[in-house]
Amino acid sequence: MTWLIALAVIAGVPLLIAMYAAGVYNHLVTLKNRFANSFSQIEIQLKRRYDLIPNLVETVKAYMTHERETLEAVVRARGIAVTGLQQAAANPGDPQAMRALSGAEQGLSGALGKLFALAEAYPDLKANQNMIQLSEEITSTENKVSFARQAYNDSATEYNTYKQTFPPIIFASMFGHATNAELLKFDAAVIADAPKVSFS
Amino acid sequence: MSAAPVSRTAVATTSFFARQDKARRSTFFLLVMFCLATIVIVVAVAAVVAMVSSAATDQPGQFEVNRSALPILAGAATLLLILGGSFFKIIALRAGGGAAVAESLGGIRLYPNSTDPVERRLLNVVEEMAIASGVPVPPVYFLSQEPGINAFAAGYSTSDAVLGVTRGCAEELTREELQGVLAHEFSHLLNGDMRIGIRVMGVLYGILLMGLVGQLIFRSVGYAGQFRSRNDEKSGNPAMAVLLIGLALIVIGFIGTFLGNLIKAAISRQRERLADASGVQFTRNPAGLAGALKRIGALEMGSQLQAPNAAQASHIFFAEGVWKNMAGLWSSHPPLAERIRELDPSWDGKYPNVGSSNRLIASELANPSLGTSSLVGTGPTAGIPLQVVDRAVKHIGNPTMAHVQYAAEMRPMIPEAILLAARTPYAARAIVLTLLLHKDQAIRSQQIQSLKKLVTEDVVALVAQLMPEMDGLDPRVRLPLVDISLPALAAMSQPQYRQFIEALQTLTLADGQLDLFEWVLSQIVLRHLRPHFEDSRPAPVTIRPLPLLSQACAVVMSAVAYGGNSDLEAARAFASAAASLPELQITLQSRNQCNLSALRKALAELTQASSQNQGRLVNACAKSISADGHATLEEFELLRGISDLLDCPMPPLLSK
Repeated sequence: MTWLIALAVIAGVPLLIAMYAAGVYNHLVTLKNRFANSFSQIEIQLKRRYDLIPNLVETVKAYMTHERETLEAVVRARGIAVTGLQQAAANPGDPQAMRALSGAEQGLSGALGKLFALAEAYPDLKANQNMIQLSEEITSTENKVSFARQAYNDSATEYNTYKQTFPPIIFASMFGHATNAELLKFDAAVIADAPKVSFS
Repeated sequence: MSAAPVSRTAVATTSFFARQDKARRSTFFLLVMFCLATIVIVVAVAAVVAMVSSAATDQPGQFEVNRSALPILAGAATLLLILGGSFFKIIALRAGGGAAVAESLGGIRLYPNSTDPVERRLLNVVEEMAIASGVPVPPVYFLSQEPGINAFAAGYSTSDAVLGVTRGCAEELTREELQGVLAHEFSHLLNGDMRIGIRVMGVLYGILLMGLVGQLIFRSVGYAGQFRSRNDEKSGNPAMAVLLIGLALIVIGFIGTFLGNLIKAAISRQRERLADASGVQFTRNPAGLAGALKRIGALEMGSQLQAPNAAQASHIFFAEGVWKNMAGLWSSHPPLAERIRELDPSWDGKYPNVGSSNRLIASELANPSLGTSSLVGTGPTAGIPLQVVDRAVKHIGNPTMAHVQYAAEMRPMIPEAILLAARTPYAARAIVLTLLLHKDQAIRSQQIQSLKKLVTEDVVALVAQLMPEMDGLDPRVRLPLVDISLPALAAMSQPQYRQFIEALQTLTLADGQLDLFEWVLSQIVLRHLRPHFEDSRPAPVTIRPLPLLSQACAVVMSAVAYGGNSDLEAARAFASAAASLPELQITLQSRNQCNLSALRKALAELTQASSQNQGRLVNACAKSISADGHATLEEFELLRGISDLLDCPMPPLLSK
């Protein structure tokens, strides 16, 4: 009888551990995919933002004839940001590329902010149907970028917390989840710059 | 004031995650109770059958079945009845998915290519919240005939879920409030609340069905029994037994439905709480959701729906969709006031003015920068009640809806000409420089002389032109005016910026002493403009414990203590401030040791303190201001400047 129990323990304990480990593995994969998806959302929204800017410049051009410098600055900043995004997307997780992108983003936000500040002085432009729609779209895209960052940070934190707690910590590095997900830093300047635009 | 104010994220993080956990635990407990109740019902039926069968049938031969198996059979039959009933009810409720529910309420599906501004904004906010919550974007149904403010999520799983939004909700709410409402609905989608609700309703239907079967048995056997009791006295006993069982089923079914409905309502209320807390997680803005709830409270229509089918779907709405005069135990949502208080503990219980709703949105749209953290404004010039200072410190980094509204009300106090000037990059410079001009005519002419050397002639001319109107300005709008000017100032060119900063610094130092208002103003302008013009990459943050920064703390607290005080008063003020940071061994610095540059250096050093310690420091400074029993506007402005430079901006004083 005793040997039977011993056998059950010898066979059963590893089986239980294996089942638990499988659960941990699956949960790690789920969490990792979740934050990876959030990250791709940021990329999608940034791209969309860059796509909207040529339309904006086109609409604004007709009205703001004396602000060529500002418009050119926006176009230039967009160009830098597009390359920044391409590089960051090519080497995801590379801190250098991420920093370059964040800098380019900051420049673009600043240029856009200036454009919208100037647009305040053109009542015809503010009343333009196209402009109303564009400013709504750009506002929403700005929001989506920041919500995507927030969602990324929330899900990355969840992943980090899970793999750092006991007992998952025993298995995490074994399953290839050794490094923590990098959190995105919110530059105070970027947040302050995000042009909140709307025309009533 | 033992609990130190901390930065916005810290406050929000602790409270909304804690509230989510609490709501989840309560739901779990309630669901266990619900399962237990179902088991109790099954056991009770079995017990009744056991009692009746042992008491009723003494005659052998009447029952051929093994008597001990009877209760088990009865229990199994009950369970089967309840499960079968739930199964069919769940199938029926699931049929058609959320779309069927939304259409039955008069909803029209919105398509992403809509160009109507209201619909466009609604669809965009839905997409924003989908990203924030990580849930796929659901179809949106617009209830165009409903003027009340309400929204719902319907459907069994995220794949067939839809969102419904009333016209009132889409039109009356500001963008932030709409985000709050939709974030709440997305929490229902994410947490599978509709599924929980449908399952609970299914089981409840099963219990109801059991009661109905009891009635059926009672009636049919009752009639049959009347006939038989006349003809055959002997068969009375088994008939009586079946009658008793039927009666038991009715009673148990009645009690079960009653308790089950109570539990169902309690679960629903917990899920609403969870959704409110998750809504804050998704938006990180409790004021938005609280504002929407307050708007509902203020409107006569509130959240009511007019669609005839609304009553059946009342459980899925954002707020009570159907007017019910029911006690709290039966309602599917927690009381409105309670929900608002969870989000905004300082709420005074008053709902905003109904008529003001659209005006508020208009002014918000006209001046989008008002919602930012740099929101400034000041109370009356005389004295500031101490509890107001106290309350402002508590609001650090967390401007409430009231502040936004206050800022909106402030705008009409600024003449249109000045407002227009503040919005153009050129004149905005003149506005800020004019604000720095001294009241004393002698100093002022000296200031204008030095200005002439620094900036171009037309700016000086503009300053002279603005002067008379600016002097007549209400002192409370001075700082908001700076805020309004900031976007225009950011549009300056690089050389213009350098020129402007030099002029700003010259004017601030013109009278040879540190003036609190000038200092705060120049700091706010510098802090917000610098990122636009200078390459100020945020330094890597190293958090250091407060004792390592004690010298910097001493300088800041001394500067606050000296502000508008004699040396003797300063010592007392400093002592009361130092008492709230007991771990530091600090002494009052001499006046020279806490001059402008020392203060700036100390504040830069203090950015290395954790946000919690920064909050405690601001708190200590507030103590220092209040030490002499009154706080002046100047003292409060200094406090705000310090708070702003530590990156925990403090909302303006509310003059109420």
